[in-house]
Amino acid sequence: MPDNCAVEVMGLTKRFGDLVAVDKVSFCIPKGIVFSLLGPNGAGKTTTINMLSTLLKPTGGDAYIHGYSIIRDRGEVRQIIGLVPQDLTADDELTGWENVYIQAKLYGLPSGKAEEKTEEALRFMELWDHRKRRVSTYSGGMRRRLEIAMSLVNEPRVMFLDEPTLGLDVHSRRHLWGLIERLKEQGTTILLTTHYMEEAEYLADRIAIIDHGKIVVEDTPDGLKARIKGDRIYLRLGEEEAVSVVKALTEKGFNASLRNSDSIIVKVERSEEILPELISILQGRKLLEIRVVKPNLEEVFIELTGRGLRGEESFDSFKYRVMRRRMR
Amino acid sequence: MSGLIVLFERELKKWFGRRPVLFMSLVTPLIWIALFGKSFNLNALVNISAQSLIPPQLQGFIDPKVIEGMVKKALNKQLKSMFGTTDYFTFFASGMLVAFCIFQGAFGGVGVVFDKRLGYMRRILVTPVRRSYIFLAKLFGTLARISILSLLLLGTSIPLGFKFKPNLSIGDIIMPWVAVMLLSVFILSIYMVMAFYTDNQEVLFAASNLINLPLMFASNAIFPLKQMPGWLQTIAEYNPVTHAAYIVRYHLIGSPIPNYWESIIYLAASSTVLLAFSMYYSVRKMDMGV
Repeated sequence: MPDNCAVEVMGLTKRFGDLVAVDKVSFCIPKGIVFSLLGPNGAGKTTTINMLSTLLKPTGGDAYIHGYSIIRDRGEVRQIIGLVPQDLTADDELTGWENVYIQAKLYGLPSGKAEEKTEEALRFMELWDHRKRRVSTYSGGMRRRLEIAMSLVNEPRVMFLDEPTLGLDVHSRRHLWGLIERLKEQGTTILLTTHYMEEAEYLADRIAIIDHGKIVVEDTPDGLKARIKGDRIYLRLGEEEAVSVVKALTEKGFNASLRNSDSIIVKVERSEEILPELISILQGRKLLEIRVVKPNLEEVFIELTGRGLRGEESFDSFKYRVMRRRMR
Repeated sequence: MSGLIVLFERELKKWFGRRPVLFMSLVTPLIWIALFGKSFNLNALVNISAQSLIPPQLQGFIDPKVIEGMVKKALNKQLKSMFGTTDYFTFFASGMLVAFCIFQGAFGGVGVVFDKRLGYMRRILVTPVRRSYIFLAKLFGTLARISILSLLLLGTSIPLGFKFKPNLSIGDIIMPWVAVMLLSVFILSIYMVMAFYTDNQEVLFAASNLINLPLMFASNAIFPLKQMPGWLQTIAEYNPVTHAAYIVRYHLIGSPIPNYWESIIYLAASSTVLLAFSMYYSVRKMDMGV
């Protein structure tokens, strides 16, 4: 095992009956970086995090957190990790302070030390002034910050953040990103799952794209973007025209392909220079929409998996209502 | 240990923090005792007019007071042999102490389901705290709640006419509490298994209708075994609720108990067995990932 891996995952597999949720996943997270698992809902991100944080036993494979096996050394692993789950888990009948303090005590800290760590975590997440308020009165952003504060009390060496900004507005999301960056500056290794590509792009040093339980590719954000050389031009035409337009464009030397019955994707190096020519070729055709996309992770994802990041959500109506109520 | 204590404190804080729930759970025993206990007032049956019982041809020859005394005596004798006391209210109120923990025990399980559904359970499970502490904190939290409510129930019934047996000792207060705790452990163990099995609180609500009332009625909690058909008596004799009620009544109101030690041992053993299974199952579930 390489020494610089804070998290070393080796052939990790989880089956639920016939469904293979995570399929022989392997990766290494070097110490002190933000590593992002990017993928649509149901890709296996949360299942992977649940296994790494000892909440779920793997069906196969193993993973080591600072050398401790998630199967054999669960007690040690729990001592050095922090998990911020996707759901809002804080007890909203208690105050912010009580929620964090309970966590500190669960790590076996004596009262004095637990109080100290509680204060540190609340101050770090900028919640100290609201510590005496019941969590039910917190805003969505505050609740997300509290979730992270609750995971900081044991000074984890590895933090698992499972969709930490799910459901937040842009402002609160930016704020949280800043705090996550500060965590990283303190030397914490962070594994972040997200299906917001801008989040992965902003925070992550390395990104692994996961789909159907498998890691499709792993690279730096720039490295990933470099994989799709150039821009993408999406064209939407009348249904009967798409096929013939592809043919016409291909004859002119364009890298054009049919996306579905009425839309075409044209891969070009620099769209600015190509567009005038493209439009002149399309003269007389029934062009409904033209869209230019610069290289981004969503495009990488589509390129690699053939579909977009926003899949169907798995839906628990009860959880959804609770979440809505809590996110006021 | 500090993990267990802090989780136990959470249970109590949540209970005290929910003002409407706290209010209702404090008022419920009051209402039960005042309404149910007093509406089944069998003693009123004894207050009949003796005059009407005397045939016309004997009127004047017999003193109605004598008849009244005889009828009362006969009825009281009947009541005493049925309920172990001449006072149905006292019989009922002491039975309520036992029935009450059946209902409160079910609530303990519902708390687990919500902790699971709202993700709080995952939050605790990711810490190194012992899994058995998570189980025990719920158990002790529920037992503490039942202790407070039972005391209140008993306290309420005194001004309403609860008659303790003469020469009450400290042991006569402690032993009913022990019986109530053992029965609560028995009930809560059942609900904890269900709570760790399912993610749906409706299962527990449905189960409480299925389990609670039969447990209460197939016992001597509100009606004595003597009045039941044979087959029901047999069932009731195996029902831990019956044995808890025996112990409670024996100590508080001096009702006869068929076999004191048999009741204690049966109650303790059935609670222990169920608790062991329930704790084993719950910890295993937590280990596998809830």
